[in-house]
Order: sequence, then structure tokens, then C-alpha cells
Amino acid sequence: MLYNVHFGIYVDVAMPVEDKSKPLLPFLSSPKLLPDESEAEFQSGLQSLLSELDNPSPLAVALVSQLNECLWWIRRHTADKELLLHEAMARLLSKAGNHWDTYDNHKVSEALERYLNGSADNDEAIWIDEILAESKLTLPDLRVRAFKEAAKYIKMVDDLIHRQHQTIRHLQRSIDSIGYKSRLIKRMDLELAALESKQSVKGALTLDDKSS
Amino acid sequence: MTINPRRSLANQSNALKSTGPRSAAGKRASSQNSRKHGLNSAPDFESSIEYRALVDLIVEEGFSTFACADIASSLLNYRRVMDAYYGTYTSPEPVDEFLRDANMRASNPIFSELLSPSGSEPQDVKEMAAFFASMQRQERRKGGPVSRRSADTHKLIRYQRSGIARLSRAVRQD
Repeated sequence: MLYNVHFGIYVDVAMPVEDKSKPLLPFLSSPKLLPDESEAEFQSGLQSLLSELDNPSPLAVALVSQLNECLWWIRRHTADKELLLHEAMARLLSKAGNHWDTYDNHKVSEALERYLNGSADNDEAIWIDEILAESKLTLPDLRVRAFKEAAKYIKMVDDLIHRQHQTIRHLQRSIDSIGYKSRLIKRMDLELAALESKQSVKGALTLDDKSS
Repeated sequence: MTINPRRSLANQSNALKSTGPRSAAGKRASSQNSRKHGLNSAPDFESSIEYRALVDLIVEEGFSTFACADIASSLLNYRRVMDAYYGTYTSPEPVDEFLRDANMRASNPIFSELLSPSGSEPQDVKEMAAFFASMQRQERRKGGPVSRRSADTHKLIRYQRSGIARLSRAVRQD
């Protein structure tokens, strides 16, 4: 079972799902993922979006694929906001202690990351607690100060997320317009077929009249 | 604010001394100064294999020939922007950890020896220390890897905006 971040539901990836992205060209469908990201999760997001469309055309699949990528970017940028805070916390912590000149920023940063994840060993946890005590800070205080310090970059990430939302809106409108277009073409085909059949019936009737 | 004529004259005469790069290598390097992501250059999509393949796919959906060409090139352009976005995000300017974490007075033995606590060091050593301190400040101001990639990717927002607007217009024009 995989958690689909886009819809907040669990998706069974082993479940046989019709792959609607097959007719798409590889340069539009193959995702560019970071080393720690799961392709199965990315593809399950794409398939769940495609399952909303009945018999999607290749262009619709291409646009949905771009939309899925935007959702993936939103997820990355959201994770970055937390990482920015951690970065600023490490910076403040390495400056804050009494012997700040002896603390290596990189070491503090790695130890703090593990401390916040709950995966720090005993020595690291004691070390971070000591620096916090020396600087007369609690973890929430440090987080508040870090937020102030990283505000400029957090705003940038917010802008990036906002841009992805705007892009999704554009893509949704484009997908709607393709759907409308194909429905319109189908309707016109049907009307044309109806007119042709009417015409042929009329022709048959006039032939019948002439012959009688 | 009024311009001091003497200062203006000095600025002009100083500007005459600025000749830019002289060597071939310098000129080659400076010609690439503004080129980071290549999104300002006009690409030739029409001659690519991807373009033909895309047009062949879209033409079956009932779009006019003109619209097919427009959609294909807009989609390729959007992909180009997003590929640059990914490239910028994954390879931001690296952090110079040595410079960022160095303690100019205490940890650098050269400065420890040269700079005396009484402040009676020679002027050029003072200037050197100030120069390294300013470089360190600049390095620290740029933040860590996450701050750098956020700032670098932020510069590509306008390209994504125009890329998606062009694609959306192309799809909805018919």
C-alpha cells in the first residue's frame, strides 16, 4: 500500500490498473526523480489522475503528466520549507554556544537533523542538549528564531508553490478544453451521421416515388 | 540629488580605464557570464524528432495543422523550462564549507600569527583579513544548500509562467 499525497488516500500499487500513459512519448512521461524518491509512488499518482478521465487522448495524457509533475514539485517544495528551518536552526545553534568558534556548522547540522528525526544516538543528543543549554534556548525558541532567520527563503518557496498551483490551473483548463473539444467532435459526428442517414432515407423515398 | 562635477569627471576617467577582458580565454569566459540555464535562447523545435512525433500524435485529435505545430512547440518549450528547473534545483551553487565555517582569527594559523591582539598589524594584513571576512559574510548570506536551491529555482518562475501560458493558449485557441 502506498500513500497518495495528492489525494490523501492509500493506493494498492499491486492492484492491476490499466496503464493509460502507455501511448505517450517517453520524453513526456518519464519522470526526473531525486535519488530518495519512489518512481512507483510517482506513477501511482499519475495513474490515479488518469483514471479520472474516460479514454484520454495522447495530448490529455501529456497534460495530465505535466500536472502530476507539478503536484510532485509542490511536495518537494513543501518538504524544503521544513529543511530551510532545520538549516537556519543549525546555523543559529552553531553560533549560539559559548564556544561557537569550535563548532563545525556541518557537524551541528547533521547532528541536529538526526536529533529532530529522533534518530540521534545518545552522545549526539547530549551534545545538542548541551549547546541548547549553553545558549539558553529551548527547541521551540530556536525554531521561532530560525523561522525569522529563514523567512526570506521560506517566502521564495511559497512563491514556487504558488507558481505550481497557477500552472495546475492552466493545465486543468487545457485538459477541460480538450475534453470539451472531443465531446463536441463526437456530437458533430453523430449529428452528421444522423443527417446522412436522413438524406439517404429521403433519397430512397424519392427513388421509390419515381419508380412508382 | 545633485551630481558633483568633479566626481562625475573622475568617474568618466576611471571608466576609460575599464577595458574588460583582454585575453581570448577571458573574453570566452565573460561571453558566458549571463548564460546559466539557456532559457533566453530561441530553440529550433521544428527540426527535432520529438516535435514530429508530437505533431503526429496531436493531429489525430482534430486540431488544425497550425494548432498542432503550436501545441507541439509549446509543449516542448514547457518541457525545456521544467528540465532547466529540475537541473537548477538538483545542482545549486555549492557551499564553500571551509570559507563559511572558518574562524578568521582563531582557527586560521596564518592570521593568528599575522594579526596581533593589540591591533598593531600592518595595513596590508588588515586589508587581507577584511577581504576574507567580507567573502565569508557573502558565503554565509547565501545560506545552506536548501536556501541556495530555493533562491536559484525562484529565478526561473517567470520562465515557467510564460511557458505554461503559451501552452495553455495553444491548446485552447481552436
